[in-house]
Amino acid sequence: MHSFSDNMLIPARTLMPVALPLFSGKVAAGFPSPADDYVEKTLDLNELLVQKPAATFFVRAEGESMLGAGIHPNDILVVDRSLEPVPGRIVICALNGELTVKRLERKNEHWQLKAENPNYPDIVIFDTLELVIWGVVTTVIHLL
Amino acid sequence: MPPQRLIALVDCNNFYVSCERVFRPDLIGKPVAVLSNNDGCVVARSAEVKKLGIKMGVPLFQIQQLVNQHQIQLFSSNYSLYADMSSRVMSTLEEFAPNLEVYSIDEGFLDLTSVYPCGKDPIAYGQRIRTTVVRTTGIPVCVGMGPTKTLAKLANFAAKKWQKTDGVLDLSDPVRREKLMRIVPVGEVWGIGSRTTAKLNQLGIHTVWDLASQSSKRIQAQFNVVVARTVMELNGIACLALEEIAPDKQQIVCSRSFSRRLTEYSELSQAMAEFCSRAAEKLRKQASVTGCVTIFIRTSPFNPDEPQYQRAASIKLNAATQDTRSIIATANRMLKELYRPGYNYQKCGVQLSHIQPETTPGQMDVFDSIADGLSTENRHLMKAIDQINRRFPRAVSIAATGFDKSWKPKAERISQRYTTDWRELVGVKCA
Repeated sequence: MHSFSDNMLIPARTLMPVALPLFSGKVAAGFPSPADDYVEKTLDLNELLVQKPAATFFVRAEGESMLGAGIHPNDILVVDRSLEPVPGRIVICALNGELTVKRLERKNEHWQLKAENPNYPDIVIFDTLELVIWGVVTTVIHLL
Repeated sequence: MPPQRLIALVDCNNFYVSCERVFRPDLIGKPVAVLSNNDGCVVARSAEVKKLGIKMGVPLFQIQQLVNQHQIQLFSSNYSLYADMSSRVMSTLEEFAPNLEVYSIDEGFLDLTSVYPCGKDPIAYGQRIRTTVVRTTGIPVCVGMGPTKTLAKLANFAAKKWQKTDGVLDLSDPVRREKLMRIVPVGEVWGIGSRTTAKLNQLGIHTVWDLASQSSKRIQAQFNVVVARTVMELNGIACLALEEIAPDKQQIVCSRSFSRRLTEYSELSQAMAEFCSRAAEKLRKQASVTGCVTIFIRTSPFNPDEPQYQRAASIKLNAATQDTRSIIATANRMLKELYRPGYNYQKCGVQLSHIQPETTPGQMDVFDSIADGLSTENRHLMKAIDQINRRFPRAVSIAATGFDKSWKPKAERISQRYTTDWRELVGVKCA
């Protein structure tokens, strides 16, 4: 049997829009609801956070090197693999066989992986072959 | 003149292994193998493992020494992960063609016939498919193309085998086709099994080219219409259409070996109830009802010293159903008859047959409502259970399946469900 913790979330790919009940205005006799014309749709977080479902992965941050970018330990990051990893973006990369989060920068002809915490060193990549970008981080989900 | 037909087969490379590597980049370049249910046999191998001469389906105990010597990384099958990654690959492929046939968990046929950007340069388009899939999902694929499905399959085989193709091969050109067919053994052709291969070899047909040069009429006389169609397909004459919608299953089987031998009736009936639940779930997923339930139980044929016992039984139902509870009840009625104490049972299973769409009109519903109470109410209940279980896997189950699942197949080396469970996301270092 499964037990679920209180803050259990629902996987985004199977997440069904939370349909809030709306009055359809079908009142037998009388006045149609004046709100009817304003009903559009319900808000779905997927629409806001997930552009390409097939390319979107969720990962969990471990460590404090990206605090300056608002990424705390245990935060969930939304990663889009289809986005171009351009300088300035926060990326997930495979570094020495480990998935690592850094800000991608370009400085003096070299790629750099910048930490967002003065206590952590930046990494300069001299050979682009060494650097495998896994995906681009688009959102950080920080549970309060 | 209509444009020449162009079919592509996109096939993932070592799919299960690739799924594991997406989240474990440290395993890239290292020997990795994925094991079957109960961690028994090898069902997927990385290139490094293939190079060691380890064959598909070999039992783990037979290669234990190689595993130790080469530090082969082993994984239990993680079907939640593989299914999710598969649907990502397939939905990425959908963008490249108007028609996609999902052929298996790791391969899909695309109809590229009138796809404009493909028409100018099919190879470039194939490369675009390849790079897009690997970038989007992390899964490497190869693309084979040709005017028929059989030729697309053959092209894919060659694209995988020869690095020079850079993962994409088009066999539309008859000259290139012949060149390849002359060096590929006939057994590699799609749909030609080992028995047909042996018979073909006896007739002096060894390469694909030998087969393609035969008269399809003669082949039909000596073999059957399937092999004859293959001959035509190899010559660029399309006999097989793209099936965009998978046909409903006419039989649903759910059976497993236990991680340990079961002796008690109660354990066996719980396992049986669990398999019935899975089978009923599949039945409802394709919106069908079943008219016949078959069960079997058996001891292990590999323990000749132990007393052997195996039995199967079927019941044809008065009213077709899709209700887990009535399928379990039917299975249990048979199990009570079949069960004998004093044996070490190793496997059991259930098979649903006489399957028809749930909308089939007829008298069934009349009996159904008499026997089972309000059938629409039951349907709603089952639907509700399925919906909950889709959101929270295995959250709701029928009590008959029991709580002690110690008989469940071993999956000791299973990786995290990286994409389907919030508690098992991959960790990324902020270091």
